Amino acid sequence: MKDFLIDIAELLEEEEIKEEDILEDFEEWDSLTILSIIAFSNEKYGTALSTIEINDSKTVGGLKKLIAGKM
Amino acid sequence: MKQINNPFSLEGKRYLITGAASGIGRSTSIILSEAGADLILVDINHEGLVETQKKCNPSDKLLVLDLANSSIIKKELLAVVMEFGKLDGFVHLAGKSYIAPLKIVNEEKCKDIFSLNTYAAIELAKTFINKKVYNGVNGSIVLISSVYGVVGSAANVGYAMSKSALHGITKSLAIELASKKIRVNCIAPGFVKTNMLDSASGMFDEKYEEKLNNLHPLGLGTPEDIAYSIVYLLSDASKWVTGSIFNIDGGFTAL
Repeated sequence: MKDFLIDIAELLEEEEIKEEDILEDFEEWDSLTILSIIAFSNEKYGTALSTIEINDSKTVGGLKKLIAGKM
Repeated sequence: MKQINNPFSLEGKRYLITGAASGIGRSTSIILSEAGADLILVDINHEGLVETQKKCNPSDKLLVLDLANSSIIKKELLAVVMEFGKLDGFVHLAGKSYIAPLKIVNEEKCKDIFSLNTYAAIELAKTFINKKVYNGVNGSIVLISSVYGVVGSAANVGYAMSKSALHGITKSLAIELASKKIRVNCIAPGFVKTNMLDSASGMFDEKYEEKLNNLHPLGLGTPEDIAYSIVYLLSDASKWVTGSIFNIDGGFTAL
């Protein structure tokens, strides 16, 4: 998952993000971004995520842990 | 009493059905069998085809085929038709969904979806019009698109591309094949309760199904709702219908 932060930053249209950043604080955080993360994670890591799981993961680091736990 | 000819009967007719291993494809295969048709059941999933065949005619042929690989379609079909007999038509039900917002859409995935959902229909039609395949009279081709080939929806651009293209294909082929007595029509289904829908629903919250229901004044459909419209379009009851797009959607596109 070495490019994880770069990939998620691109989806969120941010220059740089940190693991402690709160997902819903990002300006681009909306239902389409959540769907983008679901599709991205499925294509890149072969994982099936739900909207609820992503919202529950709260932070960028939480999201990373969620995906890693399903790989 | 004089016997009334049933224009919906498919007795003695032969059709090829793609996507026959599950969902709408399986239900359609079963209902076409009940209407008297003999079938070539096509899918990439062999186990699913075997399950479908248990509810159809034992003499129906199974063909495991990756329809996304257009280079093998003609050869495989010709071989099975030689054994089975010439066809009266086909139904292209095989398809994949592609839920992806614009940011995440990629060319490779779009081509993959297009190959199966769309281009396979052209390759199947190309093979079907071959004299060795088509029986020569009252041919009928039915393509299956989606309400999302008719109306817009977020995160669906790749899928909408693949399904709306089927509408152009339907109209174009309807004109080109009319002189061969082949009708070409398309059904644009609303949301139907299938495994494909269940797996898509898993991506959303628990209110997703409720929201979907609200988009359909008559509620979500069943595979049989689509299958019966396919029977109509294959049968002689629709002998004056070609180039049409049928919205079979519980009122989705009426809203």
